Amino acid sequence: MGITPSSLGSLAGAASSAFAGNTAPTGDFAGTLGSAMQKVNDLQTSAEQKVTDLLAGNGPDVHAAALSVERASLAFDLMLQVRNKVVGAYQEISRLQF
Amino acid sequence: MNLFGVMGISASGLSAERTRAEVVASNMANAESTHTAEGGPYQRKEVVFQSASPSSFRMQLAGANGSASVGGVAVRSIVSDAAAPVMRYEPSHPDADANGFVAFPNINPVLEMTDLMGAARAYQMNASAVQAAKQMIQQSIELLK
Repeated sequence: MGITPSSLGSLAGAASSAFAGNTAPTGDFAGTLGSAMQKVNDLQTSAEQKVTDLLAGNGPDVHAAALSVERASLAFDLMLQVRNKVVGAYQEISRLQF
Repeated sequence: MNLFGVMGISASGLSAERTRAEVVASNMANAESTHTAEGGPYQRKEVVFQSASPSSFRMQLAGANGSASVGGVAVRSIVSDAAAPVMRYEPSHPDADANGFVAFPNINPVLEMTDLMGAARAYQMNASAVQAAKQMIQQSIELLK
């Protein structure tokens, strides 16, 4: 069987995480959540670094800093929504009547 | 292509157009420069773009298998326009030759202005693509709400 981009694509899609797709999937849900949060944090740190460099006058282009901030903001939004979903699910379960 | 693929491609476009605007600005600023480090008048510069090699492994694989691949743009080189300088009679000028002629850069303000407008509009276009990508991501996040 030949290797086609589409068959590899589905494999890669299954293996990659939502953010960068370059870390090995960890087994448990908490681990997955933790690594996703770490990536959000990394994006925030890199955005902060770029803005600091820009303000110091030795940094990247303006658009590079702006895009970095935008990426961090979008990743945080996604993280926040996932967190809301998780907390919502927890509350649903905790309200179960026995 | 991951979540921020469009943004990365558009960012390369923004960088490239900024470089183009920089080159045009240099041409405009040096329109009267009769002296350069290499000797002779300033030579008009032009920027050459090339499509950057696809960044992700999946895209490269797709390209190797014969399907079209997408990627950003990169500045290949900045080349000098070899057009002959404009000779102007200014005998009192320190760079004048024996006959009193001074070699000025062959720069056409109209050409530079249109190039600058093109760069500004292309920058705007890439910025619009970033906006569109951002809205697409935001709308996907909205699905979770």
